[in-house]
Amino acid sequence: MIRKKILLIGDFNVGKTSLIRRYVDNAFNDDYLTTIGVKISKKALNIDNREGELLIWDIEGATASKRIPTSYFRGASGAVFVADVSRAESMTHLEEHIESFLSVNPTAEYVIAYNKSDLLSDEEREALHRGDDTFLTSAKDDTDVEILFTTLARGVLR
Amino acid sequence: MKKLQVILNAILSKDIFEYVLVDRASKIAEISDGVAKYMSDDIRIGDDVLSHLPELVGREQELASVFDNRDLSFSFETVYKNGHYVNITIDHYDGDNTLFLFHNITEVVESKRKLLQYSNETTLLYGALQKIIDSQNTLLFVTNDDSIEFANQRFIDYFKAKDMDDIKRKGLRLYHFLDDDLKSYEELYHFTNDDEKHITIEKDTFIMQATLIESMHKLFTLSKVTSLNNAKQNLENEVQLDALTGAYRKKYFDKRVEKELADKNACALAVLDIDDFKRVNDIYGHQVGDQVLQEFTTLIQSELHEDDIFARWGGEEFLILLKGDNTDETMERIEVMRRHIDAFSFATIDHLTASFGVAWYQDDDDSSSLLNRADKALYKAKSSGKNKIIVTPMMSVESVYSL
Repeated sequence: MIRKKILLIGDFNVGKTSLIRRYVDNAFNDDYLTTIGVKISKKALNIDNREGELLIWDIEGATASKRIPTSYFRGASGAVFVADVSRAESMTHLEEHIESFLSVNPTAEYVIAYNKSDLLSDEEREALHRGDDTFLTSAKDDTDVEILFTTLARGVLR
Repeated sequence: MKKLQVILNAILSKDIFEYVLVDRASKIAEISDGVAKYMSDDIRIGDDVLSHLPELVGREQELASVFDNRDLSFSFETVYKNGHYVNITIDHYDGDNTLFLFHNITEVVESKRKLLQYSNETTLLYGALQKIIDSQNTLLFVTNDDSIEFANQRFIDYFKAKDMDDIKRKGLRLYHFLDDDLKSYEELYHFTNDDEKHITIEKDTFIMQATLIESMHKLFTLSKVTSLNNAKQNLENEVQLDALTGAYRKKYFDKRVEKELADKNACALAVLDIDDFKRVNDIYGHQVGDQVLQEFTTLIQSELHEDDIFARWGGEEFLILLKGDNTDETMERIEVMRRHIDAFSFATIDHLTASFGVAWYQDDDDSSSLLNRADKALYKAKSSGKNKIIVTPMMSVESVYSL
């Protein structure tokens, strides 16, 4: 069985842990509990008849005073970059996170989650510009969480 | 050596450190008694280490190199393992094994996590407050000494700054917009304290208030009232102005005249009447009549001074209060008006004239007596041939300025 390490990377309180809980356990909790350090969750997959296991690293989010240690990135095959659509600064920081991750893993796959999309109106949702690798997700409403991870998994398990 | 073993056993018994020895085939060769508590599954000698430590996935090459180089090691910090936080260090042990040392740091991490939680929640609260402050329809800034330390987005946008740093760079001194000779925000605070001050910046009027925050910071808020003033003015205009011509209504005119008379200001009241206006309505209809009244009003307004008061009395009759005690100059102005009306080419009817009755203010006058005399003078102007000005009183005899 192929095992691949992926990480969820973004500012604090953008919903990284909630996305993992939704994807792995199909559960959601509205309470905010800061993640510290790293916690690994496993998810077995069968993509295009290939057995695989994602080792999903939930790491603490970046704050104004503390960046994410790049040592966490070593050995990763992919990443989900997460931003909170209701916090503009978390969106603008995405580029910085991507750059930092790719400096350690230049050939890694990645996808982007504009999370907490349940907070947007239909008009705001439409107005949000996004590329093919970007998903408007909501861990709360279970919107596009599965496709977010599956898209990345298809890339890293190839 | 025996002493060292005792020390090691003592450390291991404190539940702080646990270890695992791993061979070159990545199989577990030896474990300490307490290491199982960090694993979600049972851990046994001979198990694949990767099945218990998925943290190693992607780092297999680094692990292999540790077997061959006694100076190499690597670690995973603050890893959540089965309800515990541990630091895992992977060290060279001998040529056949590597040593995985587990350092339990749960207590320290839980304390750090509480602090981080508090810090992050405070940051989120600050961000939410910032959004609330930015959404307010007021310009808001906080000063310390003589500089602006904080401003909301509306303030930054209003002064066309990029951000807060830009505001600081520009060294904006808001008190310079006030007429009073203020030299610092401290003086502005004392000037504004417990009161509302009007401040005009370019074309906008604001109400400014100041509040002391702690002992060092002062909060100033600027509420824009220009639009409110405009709305109020529009409402007043609706009440005060004649809908057809835009001249003042008689009621408002009377108020203004009463005030002038109460202040004993020298002035003359002219009553104007368009000659033979009934014929305009009869021949051309009321729509043209209305158009003539509008043209007439525009013509008169172009002759007025800033402090003149002009109103439509009703029908084709108008009133002008002309301030000042220079009778010659005032009468000259009225005569110019009469001549201009006479010479003006109206859109449909081309030519018309107007008659004027003028009364000068006397000490015992009220608006009613002044108007009464001017109206009588107008009557005389009308009955004596129209297109003329009759003034009363002028010396002892009524004067005829033009025939």
